[in-house]
Amino acid sequence: MLRLVLQRLLALVPLLFIVSVLTFSFTSLLPSDPVDLILGDNGTQEQYEMLRERLGLNEPLVSRYLDWLGKAVQGDLGSSFFNSVSVTGAVMQRLPVTLSLTAMSALIAIIVGVAAGVAAALRPQSWVDRVATIGATFGQAVPNFWFGLILVAIFAVNLRWFPAIGFTPLLESPWQWLRSVTLPSLALGLSSSAAVARQVRSAMVGVLQQDYIRAARAQGLSARRIIIRHALTNAMVPVVAIMSFQITVLLGGALIVEQVFAINGLGTLAIAAVRQQDIPMLQGLVLVMVGLVVSVQLITDILYGLLNPKARPS
Amino acid sequence: MSDQPLLDIRELQVTYWGRSGLSMRRQPFHAVKGATLTLKAGETLGLVGESGSGKSSIANAVLGLVPASAGSIRFDGVDLSAMKTHYPGEVRKQIQAVFQDPFSSLNPSMTVEDIVSEPLRVHTGMNRAERRARAAELLEMVSLSAEHLSRHPHQFSGGQRQRIAIASALALEPKLVVLDEPVSALDVSTQNQIINLLYERRDALGIAYLLIAHDLALVHHISNRIAVMYLGHIVEEGPSDRVYSAPAHPYTKALLDAVPLLDPEKQRLRRAARKRAPPNETPRDVSSGCPYKNRCRWAMARCHSEAPPMFAVEGGGAASCFLLTDPGNTANNDKLKESATQ
Amino acid sequence: MTARTTTHRARPRRLALPSASQVITGAAIAVLVALAFMAIFADWIVPYDPLRQNLIQSLQPPSAQHWLGTDDLGRDVLSRLIYGCRIAVLAAAEATGLAVLLGVPLGLFVGYRGGWWDWCVMRFVEAIVSIPGIMVAIVIIAILGAGLHKAMIALGILYSTSFLRLARGVVLAEREEVYVRSARVIGASDGRILLRHIFPNIAPPLIVQITLTVGAVLLAEAGLSFIGLGVQPPDASWGTMLNTAASYMDLDWFLAIPPGIAIIVTVLSVNLLGDVIRDSIGRGIAIRTEPSTPSVRFAPTARETGQSDQAIAPGPDDVLRIDGLQVVISQRGGSEVPVVTDLSLAIRKGETLGLVGESGCGKTITGLAITGLIGAGGRITHGAIRLDGADLTALGQKQMVSVRGNEVAMVFQDPITSLNPAFTVGDQIAEVLQAKKGLSRKDAWARTIELIDRVGIPRPASRANAYPHELSGGMAQRIAIARALSCNPKLLIADEPTTALDVTVQQEILDLFRDLQDEFGMAILFVTHDLAVAADICDRIAVMYAGEIVETATVDALFARPRHPYTAGLLNATPHGSDHTPPLPTIKGSVPRPGTWPAGCRFANRCEFVEERCLSRVPLAGKDTRLVRCVRADELRLETGR
Repeated sequence: MLRLVLQRLLALVPLLFIVSVLTFSFTSLLPSDPVDLILGDNGTQEQYEMLRERLGLNEPLVSRYLDWLGKAVQGDLGSSFFNSVSVTGAVMQRLPVTLSLTAMSALIAIIVGVAAGVAAALRPQSWVDRVATIGATFGQAVPNFWFGLILVAIFAVNLRWFPAIGFTPLLESPWQWLRSVTLPSLALGLSSSAAVARQVRSAMVGVLQQDYIRAARAQGLSARRIIIRHALTNAMVPVVAIMSFQITVLLGGALIVEQVFAINGLGTLAIAAVRQQDIPMLQGLVLVMVGLVVSVQLITDILYGLLNPKARPS
Repeated sequence: MSDQPLLDIRELQVTYWGRSGLSMRRQPFHAVKGATLTLKAGETLGLVGESGSGKSSIANAVLGLVPASAGSIRFDGVDLSAMKTHYPGEVRKQIQAVFQDPFSSLNPSMTVEDIVSEPLRVHTGMNRAERRARAAELLEMVSLSAEHLSRHPHQFSGGQRQRIAIASALALEPKLVVLDEPVSALDVSTQNQIINLLYERRDALGIAYLLIAHDLALVHHISNRIAVMYLGHIVEEGPSDRVYSAPAHPYTKALLDAVPLLDPEKQRLRRAARKRAPPNETPRDVSSGCPYKNRCRWAMARCHSEAPPMFAVEGGGAASCFLLTDPGNTANNDKLKESATQ
Repeated sequence: MTARTTTHRARPRRLALPSASQVITGAAIAVLVALAFMAIFADWIVPYDPLRQNLIQSLQPPSAQHWLGTDDLGRDVLSRLIYGCRIAVLAAAEATGLAVLLGVPLGLFVGYRGGWWDWCVMRFVEAIVSIPGIMVAIVIIAILGAGLHKAMIALGILYSTSFLRLARGVVLAEREEVYVRSARVIGASDGRILLRHIFPNIAPPLIVQITLTVGAVLLAEAGLSFIGLGVQPPDASWGTMLNTAASYMDLDWFLAIPPGIAIIVTVLSVNLLGDVIRDSIGRGIAIRTEPSTPSVRFAPTARETGQSDQAIAPGPDDVLRIDGLQVVISQRGGSEVPVVTDLSLAIRKGETLGLVGESGCGKTITGLAITGLIGAGGRITHGAIRLDGADLTALGQKQMVSVRGNEVAMVFQDPITSLNPAFTVGDQIAEVLQAKKGLSRKDAWARTIELIDRVGIPRPASRANAYPHELSGGMAQRIAIARALSCNPKLLIADEPTTALDVTVQQEILDLFRDLQDEFGMAILFVTHDLAVAADICDRIAVMYAGEIVETATVDALFARPRHPYTAGLLNATPHGSDHTPPLPTIKGSVPRPGTWPAGCRFANRCEFVEERCLSRVPLAGKDTRLVRCVRADELRLETGR
């Protein structure tokens, strides 16, 4: 078990290295000079040189990278080009918002997706299967932010069950928090559950055709036992891998859905940063998101190892 | 040409480097550990062994699909092992192959004409019409007809597909064809049709076959010589009839004995005589001594410490077993023969 | 599965009406054609200039003048929607095209090349994939700037990773295929192998991936425009229209409907088209594998000709008796084809009956029919299967569950895949004991170790904790046998249990069956294609050909004097034992597929003794256990050449 975790952690090293290089290289890829961006049109040459020096832009690329990486590892992602706010601070302030939205929608996506996928796989061609398949096909075509708008129109504007906009932190009021994340999570989670359902169904259908399922049936085990113990355990192997990918998708979706509900999360921060070409902020955001995704991958990898004996180190 | 063998394999070793599980370190797997074989032009050498014995690795090494890690392979005087897997065209066109699974050995997206004439296209300057005529001729040679040219592989049965594969392999009239389990995926009644075809083509064209199979009886039908492999070693080699009727190595004998007979009465007698041994657990790697020592009922102390070299066998060929050198050699051989006839 | 009807009617399935999938495909194509039409001719068909503002008429509901109403600046929504089509088509074409052009060649290259190239590129792809897609797009837009074309370049780069992985995956899979090895042996160059042999096989998944990507691009473009990073106002795209709508949800929610529906319908059409393409490709390659044997007139079954075989006389010790079993399977298109007809047999306690024949003769389906596991698409139409007198075909699902394992158990051909990879082998035996025998966990485990020991596996206690993939084929088959016998069944069905094993292991497993039968006393139905194996293990043999039994006899009688030409042909063709040099004896042709059986004797077209009489149905006739389905059985002296 420990070996599995260590192995997985080790495998992340090249990935994180490449991500850090990619992230860092934004600055040099940028067509416009960040110093010009900050100073605007009326900066003097002197101010320009000073700022360049202060931002460390005169150093060689490699040493700038190492300097940036060293600070990033310690949690210092630099400060915004514009208001000199600490990037780490800004990101950490918004992170809980986006995280709670992502987590809630992941929960919805998993519960709805797995239930619908399994139900459809157990009775192919039945009405359950048809409804699930049609639902999933539609679900994949509906933009999550549009679905959010419709939910707002129905449940916030007309029925007034939920707030239309805004976010209440969990610690402030759990009840208000739940009310504020319900609609965005549903918009995001239900859209994502369509993809999960399709993949769970095909994984499950595949497993149900395996020899060992036939053998278990020939052995007279009950249908319930075969489905829950024998089929689901194996069908979960690909599903776990899918979920790790879906979390990435959800995190990206959250950035947009936040806009619908005027939630001040990472999405709002990212969009503002793009507009202003605020490079340190974007770098910080990418690194934090990759960190999140990689943590989820690590957890799913370990789950994968637990479910699939062949993937365990011997 | 006269006495020089067409294919001359000396001390060949094939090693794969694979990862097990998620392990980061690659571990060597020695599939072939020093095999020496020769094959004369126009003859057939049957290479027999169970799964994992390394027989297909020898085939792949000869075909240049995997590099030899040690030893040499000479074909028609040319050192193939030195070229690793990059054979020049003149060599390539002389060595062709037919593989086991007729369902995956033909490209599903190509027509039969494409498949059969592909070697002509690669190695000859024939134009399209010439290639087509030759492909039709080849199909007729394997008892199919020109009307099949425009069809796709999925429209054929297993036996027919194997005929197509044979037509393609014979297109350039090579000197050597490697047959890797050519009939084991086919039904009994189709198997013999293919064996007959291969036999007839060999005699007509003077091709040499390196025939890889797990079934000694089948190999015996069309081979001039047979070599038996066990865990990467050649344990016995000799003229086909001698190996089949008077096996010298205990493993060859065990293989022959294990094949059920078509006669229930004889089978009953054989079963009664058989000692119920604990199930064999074939170790993947045997570091010292004879590779067969753990399963051999005649294993001696010497077999555990020393690897037996090849000893000449009466009637032709050689086998790597110390029983052949013992003073009581004849007695031991009688023991072997005795149980062979049962 | 156990549904039975008294008459079997072939249902004609040639309906003039198009099927549901054809309707869907047609609708999807119609939508996409309409979309393209509107994109091209937007300038001519729009009722108003999409950018013309009219603040007096802002936020109007649909009316005769403005069919879909007006937006916050009084612009005509319908006109803006139609111009949105143009943006959608452009966006999809640009981003998907770029993704294909970047991803496919690179994927093919690194997949075929392997090594360091592959490692580096794949780590790079992994890095991109671990950043949420929209964030990647945002970053690329930060570099390139906002706007439709720049956003589409961003999406193209983003989605090129999925084409890269697809192309690489196909190459990696195909390069292991035997036909690629064949091409290398022929001497084709790397480039030729890649382009001529591998590339054509990438086309089907590529087309599917393109449709998926078009759908994803449309959604992503809408999303980017919605947050203001894609199409810039005042240009009309569906995403920017939704952006406007979002600000007025409380005043005029209808504003969100037209662009939303436009996106959904378009993406849905593209996705559905992709599904249809994928399904039809699957059918084209995987399922359409019938060989081009000339199709023979559909053979009437014995029931239809009124010529049923004589029933087998019941014996007192019979564990299993099958009477007049007919099994049909439904083919693609819905028509049903018989695969087993009028099959009758009996097995006594402690007896082993061999069911012998080539593939496609109906042996395996007979075994599955007994356990009620024919599976979807197949059903029993006639006959009774009596286990100790009780008709299994009359039992419900629940009752069959209790019969399986307790009274009938099965062992399959491939021992490794017939064990569940997720559990230890001991676990899988103990589970049966707990579920079927009600043993406690501890007792079940103790009994499991006993059973594993009993099937001759050394160190049973530690082997019980092994996973199936850690065992050799022979060991795994012993475990499967131990599990099958765990509840002491009356009948064991062994379906080619030694076919996947080496001969020396086969011998051990056959000995094991014999020993266990002495101890447990179960009857065995042994299904095999290998007559020599049957000679070793069986007491009696039933030879099957094209869905029916053609000969039954005790093992000695059958091998001493086969009476059916097919049996004799099989015996002659079996390599073991005969030491001919070629030409070896053969049976001409191959086994006909179900549905193409000859009308009379089904072996007639391959038989060297065929005559006029053979063209009508032949019954299975004879005395006691010695039955043969051949009109010339009495006159023929069949040589087995040994």
